[in-house]
Amino acid sequence: MVSLATVLVMSLSIFMIGLVLVGGSFLSAVISNLEGKVDISAYFKQAAPEAEILALKRELESLPEVNGAKYVSADEALALFKERHQGDEIVLQSLEVVGGNPFSPSLEIQAKDPTKFEAISKFLESGRYDNILDKETSGQKKITYRQNQLAIDKLTSLLATARRLGFALSIILALIALLVAYSTVRLAIYNAKDEISVMQLVGASRAFIRGPFLVEGIIYGVIAPILTLAVFYPAFWFAGEKTAGLFGGLNIFSYFISNIFQISFILLLIGILLGVFSAYIATRRYIKV
Amino acid sequence: MIYFDKVSKIYSPTSIALEDVSFTIKPNEFVSLVGQSGAGKTTLLKLLLAEERPTSGQIFFESSDIHALLKHELPLVRRRMGVVFQDYRLLPMKTAFENVAFALEAAGRPDADISSDVIQVLELVGLADKIWNFPHELSGGEKQRVAIARAIVTRPDVVIADEPTGNLDPLNTRDIIRLLEKVNDLGTTVLLATHDKEIIDSLERRVVTLDKGRVIRDELRGRYVL
Repeated sequence: MVSLATVLVMSLSIFMIGLVLVGGSFLSAVISNLEGKVDISAYFKQAAPEAEILALKRELESLPEVNGAKYVSADEALALFKERHQGDEIVLQSLEVVGGNPFSPSLEIQAKDPTKFEAISKFLESGRYDNILDKETSGQKKITYRQNQLAIDKLTSLLATARRLGFALSIILALIALLVAYSTVRLAIYNAKDEISVMQLVGASRAFIRGPFLVEGIIYGVIAPILTLAVFYPAFWFAGEKTAGLFGGLNIFSYFISNIFQISFILLLIGILLGVFSAYIATRRYIKV
Repeated sequence: MIYFDKVSKIYSPTSIALEDVSFTIKPNEFVSLVGQSGAGKTTLLKLLLAEERPTSGQIFFESSDIHALLKHELPLVRRRMGVVFQDYRLLPMKTAFENVAFALEAAGRPDADISSDVIQVLELVGLADKIWNFPHELSGGEKQRVAIARAIVTRPDVVIADEPTGNLDPLNTRDIIRLLEKVNDLGTTVLLATHDKEIIDSLERRVVTLDKGRVIRDELRGRYVL
């Protein structure tokens, strides 16, 4: 009774839904990983009083766009620099040549998400803090944005597009799968229409007649995700090998493996719902008691 | 037990299957429904089985109006009616045993009872040695006997037979009718639709004659007259 064509089409649509699911959440993980790493840095004049900088920090933290702000004093910046260049004699020597502490105190600001950058920078540029903010010789205030901004922007727009496209695609495919499953079950019911009429005449209840067809739907709904996972495993392994360097150290294969239970559960749920739903509709149409 | 109250079935103004049909069937009666092809016999049985709805009028099975029953109540009423058709309507992929057992399974009987009941009924219809044969391995008469076994295995209150001998030779016809008489003797009401003159004349039971959708004759010891 279980037809290969239906299994394949169901698998294809479960495959697409799974791809959107895993891909989307993986990209989200990559982005939040990158976002956690970087922030906006605002540099202050060396003479700027710490109290004023801390006041600005508190004000920044009260903004809705800001996730958090960290104060790095000139001394801390120097210590960090020294630590980073440990063993690099030339750099350390040149530091001594300069004499004193050439670093400025700074605030490292974490935005809630990349779209909030502009609001934060506007706030800093508003002029209220001109007296403490350090300036370039050109008059430009020293505010730097994370270097991976470009990558993050790209990923963000990619994710949005992928989500929208994937969502539309998986809905279309799910509909197709539903229709194919529906047609298959309808055909099976058409073939069994004599059997069904006999069942009805000997007084079988609707549940008794419908049962086998619902079971068939469940079988489709179980086989399709299993096939899909069997294809995902090598596919993600391969993709993980090739793209490990691309996503800031996150590997899609290990992501897939560590979330395998959730992924299997969701796909199985979608598959079974799809199978049962189409069987239910098809029988609803053909059983007239 | 069965009561047709002014039942009409009109498919279209030019195609009137039944018109103002009223009659009563008492418990344990053997009623033959006769008439030419197109007289409305099959329509009448379909209405009784709730396969189709009447255009007007009511059909009662005991105290319940069949067409006013809720969806889940209908199967319960159908389990009290056994049905036999001209074309047997056996399931080709099931053996004689399974075809008969199927009716009990659908009625939700426990497995333990099913096996003994099925064998007993197949013995009653004279097929003890063909229990494990598939329908295509049986003759027409044998198939119809399996169908009768299936109809009576649930111990229904009434057996409804629609031209059960239509495809059979005279010898098998006589066997099937004798079987139905036996069923009736065991206490089951029988409603037999047929256009076979010899059957009617030999039965000497109640005959309801239909013509063009109307009851034109209802006699207690009827003969086939048209």
